[in-house]
Amino acid sequence: MDFGLVLPTGARESKDVDLAIIGGGPAGLSAGIYAKRAGLEAIIIDKGNAGGLAEEAPYVENYLGFIGIKGEDLVKEFKEHAMNYVEISERNEVEEIKREGELFVIKAEKGEYKTKAIIFATGTTHKVLGVPGEKELFGKGVSYCVTCDGYFYRGKKVAVIGGGNSGAIAAIYLKDIGVEPVVLEYMPRFMCEKAYENIIKERNIPYYTNVQVTSIEGKDKVEKVVYKDRNTGETKEVEVEGVFVYVGLIPISDLAKNLGVKTDEKGYIKVDLKMRTNVPKVYAAGDVTGYAGQIIIAAGQGAMAALSAYEDLMLH
Amino acid sequence: MGYIQDKDKKYLKGEFDKNLKEDVYILVFVGDNCQYCSVASAISQEVAELHPKIHFEEHTIGDELSKEYGLEHAPTVVITDKDKYGGRIRYVGLPSGYEFSSMIEDIIDVSRRMAEVSQEVLEKLMKIDKPILIQIFVTPTCPYCPRAVRTSHRFAILNKNITGEMVEALEFPEWADKWKVMSVPHIVINEDVQFIGAYPDEQYIEYVVEAYEKMR
Repeated sequence: MDFGLVLPTGARESKDVDLAIIGGGPAGLSAGIYAKRAGLEAIIIDKGNAGGLAEEAPYVENYLGFIGIKGEDLVKEFKEHAMNYVEISERNEVEEIKREGELFVIKAEKGEYKTKAIIFATGTTHKVLGVPGEKELFGKGVSYCVTCDGYFYRGKKVAVIGGGNSGAIAAIYLKDIGVEPVVLEYMPRFMCEKAYENIIKERNIPYYTNVQVTSIEGKDKVEKVVYKDRNTGETKEVEVEGVFVYVGLIPISDLAKNLGVKTDEKGYIKVDLKMRTNVPKVYAAGDVTGYAGQIIIAAGQGAMAALSAYEDLMLH
Repeated sequence: MGYIQDKDKKYLKGEFDKNLKEDVYILVFVGDNCQYCSVASAISQEVAELHPKIHFEEHTIGDELSKEYGLEHAPTVVITDKDKYGGRIRYVGLPSGYEFSSMIEDIIDVSRRMAEVSQEVLEKLMKIDKPILIQIFVTPTCPYCPRAVRTSHRFAILNKNITGEMVEALEFPEWADKWKVMSVPHIVINEDVQFIGAYPDEQYIEYVVEAYEKMR
């Protein structure tokens, strides 16, 4: 029997490096491997567990070399590969980054790191919906993490709000562990990849389109989701015991912005083709750059960012 | 065939060689009709075999030591120096999945007889002079939970009045229901103050202080 034992990684002391990589998802891990192999002293700092949102994917079927693999297994491969080269400091949230002459000083939970260059591989996080009841019923049926809380709803009906890729993945995962999900999508059509759409149809997961959720209601815990049917304008409701919110992603770019890094209006970090930002020796890679949200692209961008850092630090 | 893969053992051995200082004990308290007791013991034993400073002991809920530590549920896994930490750093239910990493980090901290917090948090922590029980309800598949567990355990290492107790919510559904646990990590302090989420130390300590103030 597999108990999915997860290993801790990481430094506890402060250190000086050539390159600090903030975020240990596919972009950060790939950057770490390339940086170390090029000869840079590097560290990966992650506020949680290395792996990033890729860990939440129940099944990945479009990563080169793998016909089909669980997100968490793919991430485990990435992590073990990277650990052969580079130190990964987990559960180590970066609090502040300051400049000290030519260097950057990163103040984090577990220590302080002086570095010559930084790659932001900070990724994205789940957006909140912003309807009445969402905040009030958080922890009382409203959740943002199916792997964390899905099991509490076995044998029960829940709503997944948002039918994009992450919502579709959440619904499939819930169905797999014995929960009865219903997906509520704002747009008039399936908003996930065709491959997910097929699974949703195969497993008879209800997927309502043209639905505008207006409130989440319940006395002490979630009892129903109220929504407007955008076809007819009618107000309808669906009785559920839980609500999982997957209405899109927002970039985690505040630390970068504080250093003067430019972002687009949504907060995604602007990079050139070599992953350089507008600030010298600061790079970005992965989902925080606003590209496709694909593991393979994040890994590629991470490699490119590390190579650019190497070029700027060692060859100039 | 063990529970821990060979390559993982190799990694853990390296970490232990690098970081362990003093002796550390993994005490597994078992009981009757306990689905995961044998697994808890087996995993702990495998970990202990990786380094001479780690010692494994199996105890029974109801024996002298369990009474001294105030333990009632099986399995309970305690990481301790068998002295000042007593039974205050513990896991009720199997520390599997992401919580396995918490257990390993606890072993290292207990062996080093220290834990790190900021000066600001330490000052608040040291003012706690009455017993505080921090219970953290988790699921093994929750990537955010170890942070909440480890914070309580780091506090327990630094202050002898604090006990940090992880509770595996899926193994103890009635207990989780009592506190209406529907999102994890769900933290209950002194069976009174509650919050949900993996917060940084600075916010976490405020809830501990709130529970402490309520006792006065």
